[in-house]
Amino acid sequence: MKNLLKVLRAERDWSQGDLAQRLEVSRQSVNAIETGKFDPSLPLAFKLARLFERPIEQIFTDEEQRS
Amino acid sequence: MDHSTGNQAMRRFKLRCYASGALVVLFAFIAAASFRLLHLHGVVAYFVAVLPALPILWALVAVGQYLEEEKDEFQRALHVQYLLWGIGGTLATTTVWGYLEDFLQVPHLNLVYVYPIFWLFVAIAMPVVKRRYK
Repeated sequence: MKNLLKVLRAERDWSQGDLAQRLEVSRQSVNAIETGKFDPSLPLAFKLARLFERPIEQIFTDEEQRS
Repeated sequence: MDHSTGNQAMRRFKLRCYASGALVVLFAFIAAASFRLLHLHGVVAYFVAVLPALPILWALVAVGQYLEEEKDEFQRALHVQYLLWGIGGTLATTTVWGYLEDFLQVPHLNLVYVYPIFWLFVAIAMPVVKRRYK
């Protein structure tokens, strides 16, 4: 699933490691989500939404709806 | 399993695996010595014979405990994939070998090798699965 994590992270000048620490996950997890290779669970998506103060649908793109 | 995360769940899993490995060696030695030196029979013989298998069963429980305790869902997903590879590889290998034994009289595969075969496939799966997410 495509997402804006890289952009949102860059806006805050956070590394993948910084974001991983805030989410209490591994850096590999952040990388996998960021590159769209792993879709986070709803609880983790909500955690991201809270962290970036944005609704989930602004962070993640529903590709089915787009096409 | 993956040793890269360095989290608490992984540390506990590694500790349990090391302890289990040490107990397998110890119990195998005790079982071998007991059968050589003592005339075991009945329930005691059965118990001593399966003694080395008990820590192996504990290691399998430890895998379940790790999946339960791992908070990082991506790491959990990776490990589930490793285990599926291990299960699939073991089933495939032992099934094929079984038919080879039946029809071509290849050497008999001792069932104690099933467990190492499983972990061999898990080890093979690790770099393959990880590469998908790079």
